[in-house]
Amino acid sequence: MSALAASVSPWQRLWSAYVRGTVRHPALASLVPFVPVVALWALVAQSGLFPPVFFPGPAEVVQKFGTLMANGILPAYLEDSVIRLAAGTAAGLALGIPLGLLVGLSDRAHRALWPVLLFFQAIGDIAWLPILLIWFGFGLTTMIFVIVYTVLFPVVLNTVLGVRSVPLELHRAALSLGASKVRVLWEVVLPGALPNIMTGLRNGLGFGWRALIAAEIIVGTSGIGFLMFDARRAGSVVEILLGMIVLGVLWYVVDSWVLAPIERVTGQRWGLVTRHD
Amino acid sequence: MKSLTIEHLQKTYFDPFANKQVTAIRDISLTVDAGDFVAVVGPSGCGKTTMLNLIAGFLAPTGGQIRVDGRAVSGPGPDRGVVFQSFALFPWRTVLDNVAFGPKMRGVPKARRHEIAREYLALAGLSHAAERYPNELSGGMQQRVGVVRALANEPDVLLMDEPFASVDAQTRMTLQEELTRIWEQRRPTVVFITHDVNEAVFLANRVVVLSHGAVLRDIAIDLPRPRAWDVLIEDAGFKTLAAKVLQQVRTA
Repeated sequence: MSALAASVSPWQRLWSAYVRGTVRHPALASLVPFVPVVALWALVAQSGLFPPVFFPGPAEVVQKFGTLMANGILPAYLEDSVIRLAAGTAAGLALGIPLGLLVGLSDRAHRALWPVLLFFQAIGDIAWLPILLIWFGFGLTTMIFVIVYTVLFPVVLNTVLGVRSVPLELHRAALSLGASKVRVLWEVVLPGALPNIMTGLRNGLGFGWRALIAAEIIVGTSGIGFLMFDARRAGSVVEILLGMIVLGVLWYVVDSWVLAPIERVTGQRWGLVTRHD
Repeated sequence: MKSLTIEHLQKTYFDPFANKQVTAIRDISLTVDAGDFVAVVGPSGCGKTTMLNLIAGFLAPTGGQIRVDGRAVSGPGPDRGVVFQSFALFPWRTVLDNVAFGPKMRGVPKARRHEIAREYLALAGLSHAAERYPNELSGGMQQRVGVVRALANEPDVLLMDEPFASVDAQTRMTLQEELTRIWEQRRPTVVFITHDVNEAVFLANRVVVLSHGAVLRDIAIDLPRPRAWDVLIEDAGFKTLAAKVLQQVRTA
């Protein structure tokens, strides 16, 4: 017994302090893992291995962030990108969920549409850009089309999966309790498919965000993607790095402030999805 | 509570892989009186679950007719409550809202349907679990919810498809005793499918033995009520009836 209850090593003590600290201050858990990343970055930048213009350090990027915030360029571009993403995602969900329900519930719709869906899913977002630029030109329509298209497929395919994963007995139970077919859709199919719809939304948003940056680089009038590509023209590596960091941070915010809380109160609460916290 | 009449029920499937018709129900005629408790037993493949699915309206018969209170069955409906082997509770609804689901579909206002649900939960000793989600309950408790959810909708006939087959042996005996107690209090009309002969004899007034999609025997169970395992497990009358039913099932 005494051998098993051996002394706690300093590393274990540190680990224990960290784990307990993250419980009291959850933000620590999101920030601390980045400490070594930023430290390594600063170290390499400091070492003089690369010219500072090619490889600026964290301090320069933070300074640039201050400048672009102060002159209003970064907030304005960020707003443009986020609004495009939000509008595209909303439209993608509005089209994707009903289409997914149809294909998931109707065998005929599934037979007719599934191969077509798979075909068009393969023609990824960016592959549409050449023809979209000819049809719609360098404008908002092209960018929204790309985002809607990108969000649509993961939402449709995952909704279909979700609808088909609802056990037959739940349909039967609802019908035997007096539910009409429309009520079954609302009371059984939608909530049953929700965890998968959330997965679709998560994937769709992730792909959509990437597609938006690509579209902004090519269509290029404003937005984070435009900021980065414009910086390349000016040879400002600092601005490019800043853009990359903004992308990462923004995704983290969307994930932990929007997606994760929804998942906690739905699928995880209902025991349909395994908790991992 | 209304009676259930089954007349020359028949069900065949087409098996596209074997390219032939398969007979699940050959010819079943059966009348279940209002307030009766009928258990249906038989070896696997005898058609007992198919029969229940036909009564529930989940499947359409290829011949014959099923009537509840004189009305022909043409699909699932709230006049026939179903308790499933897999419980089939809605994971996204609390226990209270699961039980209140039937009344909700009937348009009963929220306060009233929650009142009904609480009354039925109390009947099964589940009042403390009202606000919990199904996945937070044990299998035995989930099936108690399954039973009162069906009862709270006040069906004419309660259909139970091997409802206690997936809980442990001790819990099963408790659930059986609770079901007889509830049946004695409320006297619902019950059709209870099981492969467990002791369970059938313990619960029912009549045990129907199916064989190859037809009724082999219809045995009256005249054991006194209330019934409890402590008493019946040693009871000569129970043992004789159980042996009689078992013999029929094994020759089926």
